[in-house]
Amino acid sequence: MSAPVAAHSAIGEFLENLKQAPRRVLDTAFRGGAPVTDRTRSSFVFGNVFLHLHSVRTHRWSLKWTTTMGLGLASAAAFLLTLITGVLLMFYYKPYPDVAYDSIKDIHFVVPTGRFMRNIHRWAANVMVITVILHMARAFYTGAYRRPREFNWLIGMGLLVTTLGLSFSGYLLPWDQLAYWAITIGTNIAQSPREITDALGITEYFDPGGLQRLILLGSDTVGAEALIRFYLWHVMILPLVLAALAAVHFWRIRKDGGLVRPSDADKRLGAPTADTQPVFTNAPAKTYQLAAIVKGRTAAVGKGPENTVPSMPHLFYAELGVLMLTSLICLALALVSDAPLKELANPNVPENPAKAPWYFLGLQELVAFSAFMGGIGIPTIVLIGLGLIPYLDRESKGTGDWFGGPGGWPLVKQAVGVGLGASILIEAFVINFGWLREWSPSIPQLVVTAVNPGTLLTLAYGVYSVHLVRRYQSARAGALGLFTCFLCGFTVLTVIGTYFRGPNWVFYWSPADWPKH
Amino acid sequence: MKKNKHLLLGSSIGCLVLLLMAAIEENFRKQWRGIQAAGQNDDGPISVQLRQIVNPGLRHSDRCISCHVSMGAGDANVTGARILRTHRPVVHDPAEYGCTICHAGQGLATEKEDAHGDVQFWPSPMFPARYAYAGCGACHTPLDVPNRDLLGRAKGAFERLDCLACHRVDGRGGTIRPGGGGMEGPDLSRIGIAGYKTDWYEKHLELSRKAEAKAAGNGPWKNSFAAVSEADRRLVATYLATLVSAPRLIEAKAVFHSTGCLGCHKVSGAGGDEGPELTRAGEKDPGQLNFVPVPGKATLDNWLAEHFRSPGSLVAESKMPALGLSEADIDKLTLYVMSLRRMDVPASYVPRDRMNAARFGAREFTTDGATVYGVFCAGCHGLEGQGRRAPGMAAFPSIANSDFLSRVEDEFLANTIRSGRPGRRMPPWGEKEGGLRPEEIQAVIRHLRSLGGVEARPDSKPARWVSGNKEEGRQLFAASCSGCHGAKGEGGEGPALNNQVLLSKATDTYFVETIGKGRRGTGMAGFEEPSTVRRTLTRLEIESIVSFIRSWEGGKS
Repeated sequence: MSAPVAAHSAIGEFLENLKQAPRRVLDTAFRGGAPVTDRTRSSFVFGNVFLHLHSVRTHRWSLKWTTTMGLGLASAAAFLLTLITGVLLMFYYKPYPDVAYDSIKDIHFVVPTGRFMRNIHRWAANVMVITVILHMARAFYTGAYRRPREFNWLIGMGLLVTTLGLSFSGYLLPWDQLAYWAITIGTNIAQSPREITDALGITEYFDPGGLQRLILLGSDTVGAEALIRFYLWHVMILPLVLAALAAVHFWRIRKDGGLVRPSDADKRLGAPTADTQPVFTNAPAKTYQLAAIVKGRTAAVGKGPENTVPSMPHLFYAELGVLMLTSLICLALALVSDAPLKELANPNVPENPAKAPWYFLGLQELVAFSAFMGGIGIPTIVLIGLGLIPYLDRESKGTGDWFGGPGGWPLVKQAVGVGLGASILIEAFVINFGWLREWSPSIPQLVVTAVNPGTLLTLAYGVYSVHLVRRYQSARAGALGLFTCFLCGFTVLTVIGTYFRGPNWVFYWSPADWPKH
Repeated sequence: MKKNKHLLLGSSIGCLVLLLMAAIEENFRKQWRGIQAAGQNDDGPISVQLRQIVNPGLRHSDRCISCHVSMGAGDANVTGARILRTHRPVVHDPAEYGCTICHAGQGLATEKEDAHGDVQFWPSPMFPARYAYAGCGACHTPLDVPNRDLLGRAKGAFERLDCLACHRVDGRGGTIRPGGGGMEGPDLSRIGIAGYKTDWYEKHLELSRKAEAKAAGNGPWKNSFAAVSEADRRLVATYLATLVSAPRLIEAKAVFHSTGCLGCHKVSGAGGDEGPELTRAGEKDPGQLNFVPVPGKATLDNWLAEHFRSPGSLVAESKMPALGLSEADIDKLTLYVMSLRRMDVPASYVPRDRMNAARFGAREFTTDGATVYGVFCAGCHGLEGQGRRAPGMAAFPSIANSDFLSRVEDEFLANTIRSGRPGRRMPPWGEKEGGLRPEEIQAVIRHLRSLGGVEARPDSKPARWVSGNKEEGRQLFAASCSGCHGAKGEGGEGPALNNQVLLSKATDTYFVETIGKGRRGTGMAGFEEPSTVRRTLTRLEIESIVSFIRSWEGGKS
C-alpha cells in the first residue's frame, strides 16, 4: 500500500503548489514581501525597474510645493496622456491625404468618445508645451542647472526640442486647411537658409535649405509623402526619443543627488517630523566593494540620511497627485473646447493669415522680416545660449533658491521691465513705421537678414546681459537677466503673433477689424 | 504628505466626475439616439444604432439616415416622427446614392447642426429646400435650355395642345377626359434625358385616325388628337428637351439665358473673359465671403441674391454693373448659380448630359437666335437690343436701332460679332475666340433684324467711294464731331471712330448715311437735317468728314 501513499503525497503536493501558485507569482514578481513597512517599501522601490528611477528616499525639501511646482511631473503626466490617447487615435487614423481628414471626421462624429479622446490629446499636448517651458524656467531660476546637474540641463533642452517637434509633427495629421498651411509655413522656414545662399548666389551649388525642406516633406510640396513622414515622426520616432531622453532625465536626477536644494536646506526645514524614520540599521551586513564609485567621501554607513522620507508613499502621493491634477485639467479643457478641424486641405486656397502653431508664432513674427533669422538664426543662438548657461555660470551662491544668486529678485523684476519694454517698443515701432523693406524696397536681403527687429532685440538683450555681468561681477546675474528677457520677448512676440496679426500679417487690435474679402 | 494626499483625492474625484459626464454625453445625449428611440417598424421599435449609406462607387458615405431613418435601405416602413419619414420618390434613390451628393451638407456628421453644414469650417452647407434643385448641378448639365420667352412659349404650346390630358409632367396632368381612367400616355417628366422617337407625331396621328375609323366606342384615342402645326411641333420638341425632372432648375437656367451673363463670364468653356469664370461659382465657401452688407443669414443664397442686387457693395472693385433685375429673377439666378458646381465623381457616374456638353460639344442653350442673343449679348446690349448705360462705363450701343440696322449689311454684323472691337469691351465671338459657331452668329443676326424690324438696304456702291477734302473734313470734324467722338476719334460720349475694325469693315455709305441721317434714339443727330442748335452739313461736307475719318485707317489709333 505504500505506492498509493507516495502517489497521494505527490498529488497532494501538486495540488498544494497549484493552490499556492497565484500567491507565489506575486511573491516572485514583488520580491521582498508586501510593501507595508518602510523597509519593505524601500526594498520595493529599489527592486522595481520603473520605480528604481526614483531614489528610495526623498529629501523633504523636494516635497515642498514651492520647490518645483510639480511642473516636470506635469510635463511627464501630459506626455502620458498624449501617449494613451494617441495610441487610441491611431486605431482610427489613416495617414493619407483626404482620407486622413475623413478619418478625423469619423473620430469626431462616430468613434465612441473619439472626439473626447482627440480633445484630450490636443489639450494634453498644449499643456505639455506650456509645462515644459515653465519647468525649464523653474530649473533655471532655482539654479538647478548648476554642478552637478549641467548635463541634465542639456538633456532637458533635448526634451524641449523633442516636445516641440512632437507637437509640430502632429499638427499636419488632420489634413485640414489649418494643418496644411501651418506645415507649409513651417517647412518654408526650414528652407530659409536659401535666403543666405540666394543672396550669395550659390543656391545652385549648395542648398542646405532646400535639402532640409526636401527631407521634411519628401517632395516639393506638402502631400502624401509629407503626411506619412510627419506621421512616422509623430507616432514613432519622436515618442521613442522622448521616452529615452525622459528616462535618462529622471534617472540623472537621482544620480545627481536628487532635486536641487539650498545648502542650508536642512537648517531651514527644521527638525524632521515624527514620521521620518531611518530605515538603515546599525549593523550593516555588506562589504561595500563598489563604495569607490559612490559619490561623497564616505559611504553613509549606519547613518540614516537626515531629512529624507521614504519615497514610498510620500513622493508617490505627490507624483500621483500631480498626474491626476494634470489629467483633471486636460479632461476639463477637453470637455468644454473641441480641437479645431477646418476645411479639407486645399493647396489652391491659401489660408490668410496662415499661422504656425502658437508656440512658433513668436518666431513667425520675426520670420516676417527674415525667414532665416526668425526661423533658424535666432532659435539657434537661443539654444546655444541656453546650453552654455551651466558651463559659464560656475558659481554656487543662491543654488536651490528661487531667483537665487547676485541680483536676485530685484534684478529679475528689472529684467522683466527691460525684456517687455524692449520687445514692445520695437514691435510698436515696426507696426507703426514699417522696416527697411518698406522704406527702400530695393535693399539687399542680406542687410535685412542682419538688421531686423529680431536681431536688434537679441542684440539689446545681449548688451543688457553683459551690463549685468559687469555690474554684479557675476555670470549668474547676466544669465538671470538674459533668460528673463528672452522669456518676456518670447511672450510678447507670441501674444502679438497669436492675437494681433491678421491677413497678410498686418497688425489688428481684434479679429473683428480684419478686412472682409 | 497630507496636502499631497488631498490633492490626489480631490483631482481623482474630479477626473472621475468628468469621465462620468463624458460617458453620459456619449451614451445618452446624442440627438440621433432620441430620434431613433421613437421609431417603429412592423416588428416594433427599431434598434438604436448609427446608420449610414455607403456608396463605394461614388466614394461617398452619409450618416444622415441616423436621423432620417426611413431614407436608408430596408427601412422604408419606419414611422414614429416626422423626421423619420421616407423621401419622396426621386430618380436617384437616397438609399443608393446617399444624401449629400444632391443636397450637400456634411455627410460624415451625426449631429443636426454639423450635418446640415451651417457651421464654421464646412464649405458646402445643405441647400435650402427652395434651392434644392441646385444640387442637380453637381453632376448634371441641362442641355438645350431656351431663353425665358421661348421656354414660356414652348411650355404654353404643350399645354395649349392639351398634351397633359394623357401625359404626366412633374406630377401634373395625365387625366384623360372624358370618362376613362388616367395616364394613357407615358410620364414625360424625364423625356429630355431618356429621349424619344422622332416619329411620335405620325404615330399619334395614325392611332387617332384608327380610333376614329372604328366609330363605335369611346376609347381614349377617339377625338383626343388632331393635327399639330410644324411650328407648334418645334415648340413641343423644345419643351420636351427640357424635361429632366428638374423644372425649377430649367426655369432658372432659362432666366440665366435671358440675362446675357455669358457675355462676360465663362461657364464650362463658353462665354467671355471680362468677369470671373462661373463654372464652379456654386461651390463658394460661405465662410470666405463678405457678409457685412448682406441682410439676413450668412448663407450662400443670401449672398448671391445681394450680389445680384448690388455687385459692387459685396465684391471690392467689381466691374459688374447692377443689372436692375426683379426679385423673382434674382431668386432664379441665385438658384442657377448655386447649381454651378462640379463634383468629382468616377467616370462611370458622369451623366450623359454632362458628358455630351464636355466632350461632344452639345450646347447648354438652344441655338435659336433669340436664345443665343439672350445668353451672350443681352447683358450689355439689353434683352431688346436697346443698349445699356452703366455708371463708370462707356455706353453699350443700342444694336437693334433701326437706323443702324438699315445701314449695315449682315456681313458687317457678322464680322463685328466674329472679331469684336479691339480696344472696346466687345470681345471677339468667333468660334476660336469666343466659341460661337457660324450658324449661331447667323441666327443672332436674324434675331437682331427681327428686333429692329428692318432688313439691310442693298448698297449698290462699292465699300469705298468717297473722295472728299481731308483738310476740310478735319476742320469740320473738329467743329461738329469731336465733342462727342473725341478730337482724334478716340470716343467719349459717342463711340470711338478710330477703331481699326470699324474702319476696315464699315462702308463709306454707312458713314455717310449715319452722319447725314443720324441714329434715332441716340445722341447722334442727322447733320443733313436743318437744326437751330447745330450747323447743317451738306452731302459734300459729310463726304469730306468721311475722308478725314478714313485717314485714321491703318495708322495708330
